[in-house]
Amino acid sequence: MDTYDADGITLERVEEHVWEIPQEGEMNAPARVLASEALLDEISDDMTLEQLKNSTHLPGVEKYAICMPDGHQGYGFPVGGVAGIDAENGCISPGAVGFDINCGVRMMTTNLTYEDIEGHEEELVESLFANIPSGLGGGGVVESGVDTVEAILERGMDWALEEGYAVADDLAHCEDEGRRPDADPGVVSQKAKDRGKNQIGSLGSGNHFLEVQRVTDVFRADVADAYGLTEEQIVVLIHCGSRGLGHQVCTEYTREVEQAHPGLLDRLPDKELAAAPAGSQLAEEYYGAMCAAINYAWVNRQLIMHRTRQVFERVFDRSWEEMEMDLLYDVAHNIAKKEVHDVGGEDSEEERELYVHRKGATRAFPAGRQEVPSAYRDVGQPVIIPGSMGAGSYVLRGGEASLETTFGSTAHGAGRTMSRTQAKDEFWGEDVQDELQEQKVYVKAQSGATVAEEAPGVYKDVDEVVRVSDELGIGDTVARTFPVCNIKG
Amino acid sequence: MSFELREHTADVAVAADGASLDAAFAAVADGLAAAMCEAIPRDGGEHFEVTAAAENREALLYEYLAELIYQRDVRSVLPVDNQTTIRHDDGAQGEDAWQLNASARGVPLETIDAREVKAVTYSEMAIERTADGWRAYVVFDV
Repeated sequence: MDTYDADGITLERVEEHVWEIPQEGEMNAPARVLASEALLDEISDDMTLEQLKNSTHLPGVEKYAICMPDGHQGYGFPVGGVAGIDAENGCISPGAVGFDINCGVRMMTTNLTYEDIEGHEEELVESLFANIPSGLGGGGVVESGVDTVEAILERGMDWALEEGYAVADDLAHCEDEGRRPDADPGVVSQKAKDRGKNQIGSLGSGNHFLEVQRVTDVFRADVADAYGLTEEQIVVLIHCGSRGLGHQVCTEYTREVEQAHPGLLDRLPDKELAAAPAGSQLAEEYYGAMCAAINYAWVNRQLIMHRTRQVFERVFDRSWEEMEMDLLYDVAHNIAKKEVHDVGGEDSEEERELYVHRKGATRAFPAGRQEVPSAYRDVGQPVIIPGSMGAGSYVLRGGEASLETTFGSTAHGAGRTMSRTQAKDEFWGEDVQDELQEQKVYVKAQSGATVAEEAPGVYKDVDEVVRVSDELGIGDTVARTFPVCNIKG
Repeated sequence: MSFELREHTADVAVAADGASLDAAFAAVADGLAAAMCEAIPRDGGEHFEVTAAAENREALLYEYLAELIYQRDVRSVLPVDNQTTIRHDDGAQGEDAWQLNASARGVPLETIDAREVKAVTYSEMAIERTADGWRAYVVFDV
């Protein structure tokens, strides 16, 4: 049997691109890493494997805890981590969801081609930067009171539709139609709402961005056709989350869970994994608050998309409807959702409701699964994988093997390999901007440090991440895109 | 009292030292500010007070830093020049056993180029005595 030794942790090769850390000690299940050897070299270079192993201590972990091909060290649970945890006898962990609840990506298609954009790049990037709130303290598209926040938490994109920031078609192409029915604004604290009221429709900073891209390659013509993608077409990618509201929800519930369930915490090797037992009052309250934050994040991205449509209208002197600026899909990265999955072995079927924790991972349901919007049910759920500014991004579709292999999940991006401190030592923001502009990529950011921290060289090879996903059948490659303009907080 | 920003693949870590626990906590808070802004103005901004209470030392540090991040968002300021006073009631149990009173100078965000730190985490958090006082290590989500 092939093995891989990584600083005290031995992984056994189960099959091509599938590596297992066998169950031992207090682990409730084995752990699996989905990676080529090249990616595993990077994944094992920090604390990712230890964090993945730690996550198997959570009670109720079914089958195995899994690290996606883009996985890297986070806090508590690794980024790129997926765990399906029994929703009746297991637990739910705010730290295994992450602070930026429903941090995610949406892609908007257009009928513009790259030729239409050429010559307008600088005007476009300047106008987007001026009109999309970003950075720390940059405000939001909507600045309102707590009543508005509560309406957003309760109704998600239904609120955006009622207020004229969305059209019905946007909701039809969003996960869960942009509204989590389990949302409970009553269990979101006043402090979280206070943080949220001035940030509705804002990018934030760090790795969040808005990018105008062109489609450079189409790999599966039939699926691309269903998604409305063609070569040389212009699309827009929006990557951000639930802002301070979501961060506050996770911060507070981590503490509440820690205090209310010390017995469970004592069994966990990392305090950041603090979890509420399924069925407990806190588990229900956190789930309600998390679902409300999910709704906030969808509205956040919707308002940014709305403002982007307005910017394109001014720059190209046409209505957004004429430019067919339609939502392709919106995917979540930091989320725990109640889903029913088969948890039986190879020769048995046993369905169970799970809290599927996806932290820095994307749901990737295949064709036929009822949660996939009707427009895509015959071809599979769109999966959007942002890469770096110098390597481009991908659109995938949920693969046939994803339900069996990953509880219907795949990677969420390229995944970092280098710390922000090291990135700032090795890259200078203005140099990165100049080099990208030579490739006809126009970048504008609040600070040079942000550009340096997000330089293409700090990320894994997104081509390799997507290749592994495709070969495993958890996310099939549909199209590739390359940036034209990028704005960052 | 001093701090260092330490490498972390995805996030940022602060390692801080202080002659007292008060000083070590304040140094972590200054490290948090440095993680958000590389050029902090020496003057400007108004001072404000924050308080925190918790059942143990680690939880107190978590609550304190979380409160600073909350204040940053609602006041639209970067909290710098942090000062803390910690009280521990040996006989007390529960969430008020450790209490902290702190002050910070709030530099208006509109006057600086600052990046967001999303939250404080418990991951790898350490607070320990050293020969010279106290050392704290905290990972922040960015």
